[in-house]
Amino acid sequence: MLSLDDKLRDDMLKRYSNELQKLEHVLDSYIATKTIPSLNALLGEKMAYFLKKTQEAVITNFESLIPDSEKTSVMSAVYVKCEGDLHIGVLWYVLEEELKPLAEKLLEGYHLNEFDKIAISSISEIGNILTASIVNAIYDDKGCKMWASVPGFATESLNTLLEVVMADFGDQSDTVVISTVEFRGISSGIRLQMLLIQDPKESKRLIS
Amino acid sequence: MNRIAEVKMGGLEIVTGDMSELKTFVGSCVAICLFDIEVKIAAMAHVVLPKKTNCKPHTVEEERGKYADDAFAHMMSGMIKLGANPKRIQAKMAGGAAIFSHESETGLFNVGPRNISAIQQILKENDIPLISKDTGANFGRWVKFSLNSGKMIITSNLKKTEKII
Repeated sequence: MLSLDDKLRDDMLKRYSNELQKLEHVLDSYIATKTIPSLNALLGEKMAYFLKKTQEAVITNFESLIPDSEKTSVMSAVYVKCEGDLHIGVLWYVLEEELKPLAEKLLEGYHLNEFDKIAISSISEIGNILTASIVNAIYDDKGCKMWASVPGFATESLNTLLEVVMADFGDQSDTVVISTVEFRGISSGIRLQMLLIQDPKESKRLIS
Repeated sequence: MNRIAEVKMGGLEIVTGDMSELKTFVGSCVAICLFDIEVKIAAMAHVVLPKKTNCKPHTVEEERGKYADDAFAHMMSGMIKLGANPKRIQAKMAGGAAIFSHESETGLFNVGPRNISAIQQILKENDIPLISKDTGANFGRWVKFSLNSGKMIITSNLKKTEKII
């Protein structure tokens, strides 16, 4: 027979797990209706997406979220911080070697000899536009107003990139809710990953 | 064989003895190391943020190094308990990078420079000499401190560099 403590814990886990599922469902609808059409238009091809997981993690233990295979991989990334009614962080990243083909596709086939400012600028722009698609979806759905920062670009290990992002949330919470999404070009196979980071207290507003 | 204490994000470790080393990896966070080389006592904190805010009165054991002000107090008291002399304690630090472009101009994060500045201020206020540092730039660093030599070795796998301070 379950003790009272066990029952309470089970109830809490069930409720919490339901909340994360609901949140995932809400994000899924935002991505499907807003982000994917933007991405299709930007890249000129149909993109598929896979919302891998939504989970809560202790900020100082964020490394547990990263698969071992990706921990030391060098990624090219764009981060956009959104503030206002909600604080949301969106990290867009690709493997460093996959950045050039993605940038060339964004620049409509413009051949890049090396990774120059135009490429960085185009990747930053994609981060900006796609983040705006999510911000707009949240506004349309919940009426929450946010403004987005200038996109920051970096090439670093995923560990290092995430450490900065986690520190940014550390002032307001000890944990974060992270959703992991992968986008993939149906014909080109081009890949882009997104991490959407929220304060757990605030993420409840998206499922209310 | 050397005993290596790994310091996780927001963590703090204190080691004693000739063969002890402290190790961590930092991006915008700062690895601050205090040491009394004479009695071979050293502490390292992986500082995430400059200051603890009022809404967080408690510090969990695993996060004693998270905030610069809190970390400094824990490091000093822990070292003194083990026999360190506050007058002999010195400091070295590394990290505090601005990883993303435009961080400082746009206020995107700028947490690295804020961490550096907060730690320098705390050391100054407490008369702890900062012997050397390797801070800023835009890349992550592995930081290792050897209590035997008193040296801090900083390596970047991405930039393929090694620096000893």
